[in-house]
Amino acid sequence: MADTLGQSSDRSASTTRNVSAALGVLVLALAPQLVELLWSFATIFGVSGRSTLQVLSAHGAALLLAVPNYLAGANGKGLGSDTLLALIYSYPLFAVAILSLLIKPKGPQDYFGGVALVALALFALWASSDLQGMRGFSFGAGTAPRMFGILLLALGAGVALMGLLAEGPQLATYHWRGPLFVTLSILSFSAAIRPLGLVVSAFAAFMIAGMGTPETRWKETIIVGICLTIGCSLLFPYALGLPLQLFPRFLVQ
Amino acid sequence: MADLFSNLALGFGVAFTPINLMLCLIGALVGTLVGVLPGIGTIATVAMLLPITFGLPPVGALIMLAGIYYGAQYGGSTTSILVNIPGEAGSVVTALDGFQMAKQGRAGPALAIAAIGSFFAGCVATVLIAVLGAPLTKLALAFGPAEYFSLMVLGLIFAVVLAKGSVLKAIAMIVFGLLLSMVGSDIETGASRMAFNIPELADGLGFATVAMGLFGFAEIIRNLDAGSESDRELVQQKVTGLMPTAKDLKDSAPAILRGTVLGSILGILPGGGAVIASFAAYTLEKKISRHPERFGRGAIEGVAAPESANNAAAQTSFIPLLTLGIPPNAVMALMVGAMTIHGIVPGPQVMQKQPELVWGMIASMWVGNLMLLIINLPLVGIWVRLLRVPYRLMFPCIVIFCAIGIYSVNNAPVDVILAGVFGLVGYWLIKHDFEPAPLLLGMVLGPLMEENLRRALLISRGDWSVFLTRPLSAVLMAIAAFLLVLALLPSLRKKRDEVFVESEN
Repeated sequence: MADTLGQSSDRSASTTRNVSAALGVLVLALAPQLVELLWSFATIFGVSGRSTLQVLSAHGAALLLAVPNYLAGANGKGLGSDTLLALIYSYPLFAVAILSLLIKPKGPQDYFGGVALVALALFALWASSDLQGMRGFSFGAGTAPRMFGILLLALGAGVALMGLLAEGPQLATYHWRGPLFVTLSILSFSAAIRPLGLVVSAFAAFMIAGMGTPETRWKETIIVGICLTIGCSLLFPYALGLPLQLFPRFLVQ
Repeated sequence: MADLFSNLALGFGVAFTPINLMLCLIGALVGTLVGVLPGIGTIATVAMLLPITFGLPPVGALIMLAGIYYGAQYGGSTTSILVNIPGEAGSVVTALDGFQMAKQGRAGPALAIAAIGSFFAGCVATVLIAVLGAPLTKLALAFGPAEYFSLMVLGLIFAVVLAKGSVLKAIAMIVFGLLLSMVGSDIETGASRMAFNIPELADGLGFATVAMGLFGFAEIIRNLDAGSESDRELVQQKVTGLMPTAKDLKDSAPAILRGTVLGSILGILPGGGAVIASFAAYTLEKKISRHPERFGRGAIEGVAAPESANNAAAQTSFIPLLTLGIPPNAVMALMVGAMTIHGIVPGPQVMQKQPELVWGMIASMWVGNLMLLIINLPLVGIWVRLLRVPYRLMFPCIVIFCAIGIYSVNNAPVDVILAGVFGLVGYWLIKHDFEPAPLLLGMVLGPLMEENLRRALLISRGDWSVFLTRPLSAVLMAIAAFLLVLALLPSLRKKRDEVFVESEN
């Protein structure tokens, strides 16, 4: 691909790619914190969890003060979980983000695949950091997860390194339409199946999934959707005897 | 020997009850029905249909699942031959010559030879399982935790060596799977691991959930990307003249025989199985043929050999599962999942404690193969019509079926969401050229590996050399190391890639 572009435009394209790649890794480095921040908005509606302000201050402090805290508290004992998250997960990925800014990987597909695996391994290491380790020669609850975590860390780093140094394929293009509507369809199904029953949720999910491709013709889709809904409501509860509720709860009662 | 016959008699007694025959028939039919859908491979089919067996008694459920498995494989080859869209790696090779034959108007003979070859391979493999099952179970009794652990390492290495693409990435996928299997409660201490206080995760990630996400949803999303309508070229002629000519039969008989032998051997090896068997059989046929240039242009041997090998391997891969309790590939891993749901822990003790289950299943494998031969040839017309259904109507149906299926496993909406998440993970994996099958295998083997590793080290009082000092374990480890080195050697890598590349063009 890059060969077909002119030399100069290739260079400018690569610098923008570098910045966006580094930004991508940066977001990945802060992903757990961001997820908790998003989740904290839901606490307004009574979902259990820390409030937005608490999340912001706790993670902000942890990210800023992780190193001094670590040096003060000997050997990482007694550090809070947020500080550990910053130390184990975010800081190493910050380093990767800076690296991504400076060096252009030769095989981006492998490089970013490897980086994501590294992030996953670091996250697992953080998540199992509160578990007990070896007791004498018997395994604790945390031994195996940590073992596999470190192994994945090494392998992910290996894959990333290969992508960095060896010529490899470019990033594949992602499409948004299919993934978005299929995911929405799945989400709507899982949200609706309990309160609204099989008939409503299956039909709604069918229609949402149908939006996943521009080729959809609506009349046809609605007819097939109705047929499928009828078929499913006969097949699963009756023919297979699964305990599924067919109609909305408020209608049944 | 007398043992063998009494065992088989017991098995056929179980398999020939009307209910079990019915279940086997339904399984084979439904399996073919779903397996025929383009883009849905064997693993996805079994994962999708897993929930419908939950309401059955254990023996019936396993018989039906086995039927689904064969049906799915046969359905996959039907799609490869008629539409040139192989649902999974195993039937890629079948598509090479099968689709060419179909283009020449010989789809009928191609399908018939695939069915006949599969049936023959199935018969041989069934006998092989019956013969090898009992002695291997005895061998299994000599297995301590160290040997089990080493065997699983060997199995995983096999899976890596045989997987397509980078060895490093395949190993990374296995470890990813192992790590995922750690989520949930620790077996010994009961401590909650990486569950983030989410009650639904306390029991661990559901196996069916992950499989359905990675293979069902991810595959759908990916197919939507491709612009589904454009690359489907269905053979438009009517499929007529099902029966192969005498010359066809004469040409393909030796190929079927060789494919069966090769497939049976490769299937027993842990981690390998069906995929490599069909590749190997095709390559072998091409090598020894007097007219290798005919391959890829509609040579009937090119359909017969890989199909027989595929089926033989699929069946003999039950051997490590039934005797050692170790699933050798992702489909068998799903079977383990199904067995555990029914309260059966696969392994040597099952063969002794529940002989009617094991032998019933073995007998029903043969019955299943026979049924495929009988039902599928007349039904080819229906499968062709099914293939004409446009993808824009098919994929929402598959989404809904999967969603209902996952929901019905535990009646938990969270499971559906998790499967959706794993669908996106699977899409990402495909985009970065990671293979999801080793991940699934790692996920199933994770708890087993951890348990045996723990036990082995407890018995040896923390001495890691136990894996090398116990002779059986040392041999297994040595084979694993040898294979890994082989796979990493540049010269062999090139050859291995060639095999895969050749089949893609």
